[in-house]
Amino acid sequence: MLYPQKLNQKKGNLIVKISIGISVIIAIILIVVNHYITPNIKWAGIANAGIIYIWITIIYAINKNTNIAGHVLLQMLAIAILTIYIDYKTGLKGWAINISIPIIIIIANITMLILTIISHKRYIRYAIYQLVICLFSLVPFYFIYEKMIVHKILSYISTGVCTINFLVTICLCSKEVKDAITRKFSI
Amino acid sequence: MRDKKRKTLEWRKLDNSAKLFPISAGKKYSTVFRISAVLNEQIQPEILEKAVRIALEKYKSFRVKLKNGFFWNYLEHNTKEPIIEPETDYPCKYINPKTNNQYLFKVTYFERKINIDIFHSLTDGNSGAIFFKEIIYNYLEMSHPEEFKEEIRTYRKAEYTIEDSYIKNFDKKAKNNNSSKKAYLLKGGKLKLGAISAIHEIIDLSKLKEEAKNQNCTITQYLTAVLIYSIYQVNFVNPKNRPIKICIPVNLKKYFQSETITNFFSYITVEAEMEKENLDTFEKILEFVKKEFEKKLTQDEIKKTMSGNVKLGINPFIKAIPLVLKRPIVRLSYLEIRKYTTMTFSNIGRIGIIGKYQQYIDNFFMLIAPEQAEKIKCSACSYENKITVTFTSILNNDNIEKIFCQFLKDKGIDVHIESNGINE
Repeated sequence: MLYPQKLNQKKGNLIVKISIGISVIIAIILIVVNHYITPNIKWAGIANAGIIYIWITIIYAINKNTNIAGHVLLQMLAIAILTIYIDYKTGLKGWAINISIPIIIIIANITMLILTIISHKRYIRYAIYQLVICLFSLVPFYFIYEKMIVHKILSYISTGVCTINFLVTICLCSKEVKDAITRKFSI
Repeated sequence: MRDKKRKTLEWRKLDNSAKLFPISAGKKYSTVFRISAVLNEQIQPEILEKAVRIALEKYKSFRVKLKNGFFWNYLEHNTKEPIIEPETDYPCKYINPKTNNQYLFKVTYFERKINIDIFHSLTDGNSGAIFFKEIIYNYLEMSHPEEFKEEIRTYRKAEYTIEDSYIKNFDKKAKNNNSSKKAYLLKGGKLKLGAISAIHEIIDLSKLKEEAKNQNCTITQYLTAVLIYSIYQVNFVNPKNRPIKICIPVNLKKYFQSETITNFFSYITVEAEMEKENLDTFEKILEFVKKEFEKKLTQDEIKKTMSGNVKLGINPFIKAIPLVLKRPIVRLSYLEIRKYTTMTFSNIGRIGIIGKYQQYIDNFFMLIAPEQAEKIKCSACSYENKITVTFTSILNNDNIEKIFCQFLKDKGIDVHIESNGINE
């Protein structure tokens, strides 16, 4: 016999598929409950945004082939979007862009700074994520420029931390950054 | 001692034909081929794992993972080890670049059989066979250490390169010779999504050689004619008068100077207009195929086909399109391009094994992935006195395969059938 009798018996993703199905059902139930029980307060959207965030994190974590810098970038973006959405759903008081996003950017940049300093020999694997994080970290600077921010201090700090992170990166790993750009933009 | 050197990441661009595979491939169009070796003993997975690791030390170009660039995909050195698993899936399934520790090949085993499924971006059938043979040699040396104690395979230490031989050998001025006619596409119900039938027709090589010699043709010409005849006999409802077009990959290393271990193949297309050319008997079909080979299997014609494809890959406008846009454009155009071939028939020829090792190996198979337009694909390789023609199919009947086999039997050629039992 040259082949196994039962082929294609893969059930690897079945648990994930079932769990996603259950999440969708829960999300629908939340919307229905919200609609009939407390129609004046739209809390179901926030709860469902939380479910989506959890799934983004889980699916990314299941994929073993992503490195730690990729996780930092993903979390930075996902939490930023989540806080903006919650702010929007709770009356757009501006706490997301005034406080949350600068703090998220500071944490992401400090994490990357520590990674760069303690493991710069492996930096070749972080370089491209680092550049994208630095790029996104300029967003608060744009908010200041556009006068969208009332409390500017955290945004100044986040821009400062990002600049330090970028300079340290260039000093320690300029070759890797150059190589990463060459690889990614090779034509 | 602790390595104080800063690591640099080894990477390389994909060769000209490999560029298109990651952009166009998916679950329905895997661009994966498989080579299998049937040994005369049960496979020991631990030894197989070691054998693959040792082979990767020699053939470093296989120790890579596929990465997305802004304009093209590229290959990056893979520090992880490949995963060796028992065979549980259909052959030639899409290799998701994020699974299997990101390797672009997958080694599986079942009882006496070792398989390697290779994503075409990595290499072509001939170079894939070289790497696979290295795995088999390593495996046998480790499973029979006494037997191969004094075996030093220094004479096989050929140096391979990873140069893009397409760029080195193409001709800027060569005119494109591609046919503009769409092909006749095979008809019939399909297997459930994802299922692939594999039928191996193990043919007595000496008798086939004799028959081909009597007909004054090569084995590939003869089998191509039998294929066209089989399609014509059982699967030819052709109101649009479309030709049966058989695509035959050609190993370019036979025509151009190249030591590359990456892709270096082109193809010729035998275009049989059954009604127009009045090809209603096998003899007429064979004569036609011989003429087509004579006309198309020349260095000039092959260079034209190869150069046409290279020119597309180096076109500055195409190069400048970001990968995210290239992907949908290429996938859409491939839906159309695939309609220009009825069936691919790939014969990688003889798989030569060093004498001492032959006693442990029963046979080799070559398989290529079928897809929605080319519902059956056919491949062949020979080992000792056997040539195995393998049909991989997504059709839910095996009429063409049966007629092909019966035809050879009627000519007095012994044929033995093995399959994965999907179409039984």
